Amino acid sequence: MAGSGKAHMRPDGDRILEVNDLTVEFNLGRGKVVKAVSGISLDLIRGETLAIVGESGCGKSTLGKAILQLPKPTSGSVNFLSKELTTMNKHDLREMRPAMQMIFQDPISSLDPRLPVSEVLAEPLRVWNRGNEVEINEKIDELLRAANLDPAVVRDRRSYEFSGGQCQRISIARALALDPTMIICDEPVSALDVSVQAQILNLLQDMKDRYGLTLIFISHDLAVVKAVSTRVMVMYLGKVCEVAPPDDVYLRTRHHYTKALVGSVPIPDPDRKISAGLMQGEPPSTIDPPSGCRFRTRCPAATEQCANEEPQLREVAVGHFVACHHPLEA
Amino acid sequence: MFKNFWKKPLGFKFATLWLFFVVFITVTYDLFPFVKWDRISDMSQGDGPFKVPGHFLGTSYDGLDMFTALMHGARMSTFVAVVSVVVGGGIGSILGITAAYYRGTYDKIMSSMFNMMLAIPNLVMSLALISVLANGNNSHPATNTRRLIVLTISLTIVIIPILGRIARSSTLQWSSREFVLASKSIGTKNLQIIKSHIVPNVAPAILAIGFFAVGVVMIAEGSLSILGIGIPGGASWGSLLAIGRANLEYAPHEVYLPVLCIAFTVISTNYFGDYIRANLDKRESKI
Amino acid sequence: MSNVLEVTNLSITFDTPRGNLRAVNDATIALEQGESIGVVGESGSGKTVLSRAIMGLLPGTATRTGSIKYMGKEISDLPEKELRELWGTGMAMIFQDPMTTLNPVRRIGSQLTESLTVRLKLSKKEAHEQAIELLRRVRIPDPEGMMRKFPYQLSGGMRQRIMIAIAVSCKPELLFADEPTTALDVTVQAQVLELLTELRKEFNMAMILVTHDLGVVAGHTDKIAVMYAGDVVEMAATRELFTNMKMPYTEALLKSIPRLETPTGTRLPVIEGRLPDPTKNEPGCPFANRCPYVADKCRAEKPPLKDTGNGHLYRCWFPIGGEK
Repeated sequence: MAGSGKAHMRPDGDRILEVNDLTVEFNLGRGKVVKAVSGISLDLIRGETLAIVGESGCGKSTLGKAILQLPKPTSGSVNFLSKELTTMNKHDLREMRPAMQMIFQDPISSLDPRLPVSEVLAEPLRVWNRGNEVEINEKIDELLRAANLDPAVVRDRRSYEFSGGQCQRISIARALALDPTMIICDEPVSALDVSVQAQILNLLQDMKDRYGLTLIFISHDLAVVKAVSTRVMVMYLGKVCEVAPPDDVYLRTRHHYTKALVGSVPIPDPDRKISAGLMQGEPPSTIDPPSGCRFRTRCPAATEQCANEEPQLREVAVGHFVACHHPLEA
Repeated sequence: MFKNFWKKPLGFKFATLWLFFVVFITVTYDLFPFVKWDRISDMSQGDGPFKVPGHFLGTSYDGLDMFTALMHGARMSTFVAVVSVVVGGGIGSILGITAAYYRGTYDKIMSSMFNMMLAIPNLVMSLALISVLANGNNSHPATNTRRLIVLTISLTIVIIPILGRIARSSTLQWSSREFVLASKSIGTKNLQIIKSHIVPNVAPAILAIGFFAVGVVMIAEGSLSILGIGIPGGASWGSLLAIGRANLEYAPHEVYLPVLCIAFTVISTNYFGDYIRANLDKRESKI
Repeated sequence: MSNVLEVTNLSITFDTPRGNLRAVNDATIALEQGESIGVVGESGSGKTVLSRAIMGLLPGTATRTGSIKYMGKEISDLPEKELRELWGTGMAMIFQDPMTTLNPVRRIGSQLTESLTVRLKLSKKEAHEQAIELLRRVRIPDPEGMMRKFPYQLSGGMRQRIMIAIAVSCKPELLFADEPTTALDVTVQAQVLELLTELRKEFNMAMILVTHDLGVVAGHTDKIAVMYAGDVVEMAATRELFTNMKMPYTEALLKSIPRLETPTGTRLPVIEGRLPDPTKNEPGCPFANRCPYVADKCRAEKPPLKDTGNGHLYRCWFPIGGEK
């Protein structure tokens, strides 16, 4: 795995986002550079939910933030609603922000503990002058109700008085305040209890249907991802392994890393044993990633070609793309 | 914080009342007829507290009423301490908060500057500044004012990096929280984020140390006065101490009364600083 | 087979400004030698408080009633000095965040050998060799090199393996694993769990695995105790629990977990409502306000712990599939 390429791009679709060769690198000093995201391309068609899956260190969170220019990526282009974000000046970029919002992983830390909920939700509305105080208050109530929260109970409280699930609802309400076109959800349910996860996932789905949103859903949990997405992109160490519809990723896995990922998910069924034997060891460092295919050091099918040549994404079935020299059989 | 005042612990009540008293005198000194009492007594010279009618805290060896002298001294001591902490804290906070929020080269420069400033011993610096900028006839009033200003400035310079570093480290903590990123993604401008998100969260930490700093400055001013480079003429508690030193044997109250005043003030400000910090910890642990 | 651990009628309350908080109500658990039990529950279920109580790590504000017997001996009121003797030799623990349990300023080697020299009274040389052997056993590549490293140089999975190595170094009878894999990636989680199971079998250790993940316990435990709002609401052998589930809560929990097998785009079933307030002592079953099968009796009376007949315990007036 760990390849790049653009075979999976869909130039004929109604694309609201087009990312090309995005690279994000962090300078640690003394010549060491963390290659968090290396040459990734993707696109988003209006109305879809693209899931970006991978384990910690694969760069998925960094990718999400880089798309929003928080901060600007090291190189590459991000074209959102036909406007190039990477070359925009500060003022124009700011004007684009209402259309592209984000939801974060830690529900409690994503809200200012000193502010009551009404202030948290009022902030985006005031910054962008969406009405006078009365209209803003009405909008706040509307947003809270849409997130299944009772405004009267919630308005004057602060973030630390709520559970994780409620905080996440407030964050979702805030993200919706500016009527965005696209929302990037960065591990929105990872910090929540299992029974609350389902509530939030359903809420996101409802919001998407109701407001016509397009979502990027970042997660390390394949099962969660499968429930909500229309397209899945698997990442490893800053590169893309596989891009496919969710069912294909699970039932017709073609990449070795994806297979290991699928195989490691704990199943609540005592008769189904997980086979951890598929992959040993830990991901290598992002400072000095392996040459060629970055997954080759843990891949059971690695050959010399994998060390010399970086695999590019290519189509192996309709809508199914793999970056691997020796993909699994269908 | 002041709700249920009478239910608060004894220390809180004492600290609040003492500080209120001190600040009250500082502010209203000129308005009240204290000046009338500030006369040299012919009857009593160097008698201790509660010994002479009309001078309930006694008189100094030169016949000055102690109580008036202490109130007079409160003014200057408080002025120097509060002004240097407020101005120094204000400048330090602005520098520290912006350094930690924007990071990069600006932050590196600020941190180095703070470190350099901290390395300069404040007594030596005050001595140098005063001997250069405010040297002159000790009894000339203009020299005294100049001395006061230079002294305050030198103490302010001491406070800037102390509170600046507190502000910086607190801001570093808070600006890495996700709600700051959330505000950026909403499109809130940086200055607005600092104003409404960073400052309110960072203020308790700075305030707590600020209170401690007031006490520290007051003691520093006292030390400088004993060394002869502080405020002359008995105009501050430290100055009274300096003068009273000579009469320690005959009129010890000339020394221990100003010492008690300084001590009470420092205890009170420390108490407040502790109290704010304890409340801060309580709030942080909820998060 | 004697019982390594016997917890009987354990109840724990905390004295808080809001009132008396009942964290654990009347819990009874027994563990045989070499047996593993999974304690499953969400936040607020009391599973962490229960495990901490058994380990002896409760804060001073807690009041405890009931008995905890380790190897037949009552340990619930042991003074801390004697409890410490037990930790490390008889009872070992691994926690969720290995960074806070490993000393960040000491090398791995010294942390490993410490428990060996102190507890087993080995010489420095012997301890060093045993430590390397332990590292090999927990599948750390280059054990000699690892001895000299510091925790910050390691990934989460590595640190957790070190924790496990330290925990099993004195061959304890009982291992507490408090959310050991929650902070780890799913591929690393699978490896760590497999390692735990292997070591357990090798040393014949009993294990208490506390987690919120039903998937984790399904493959690695002999029996499971499900907790809700401080009660042990269901306890059974693992396979029995999954095939013959009695509690509506367990069923709802299982259903709300996103599964790979679920067809894409299905709406996940959700448990509506919220946990009851632990400071209030309301009558009836604590799950009543969220149970899809709730009846009047459920709201009026709290169901007692019942047995299906083959050791499967549950607390429900109208269990799924009847009383057997």
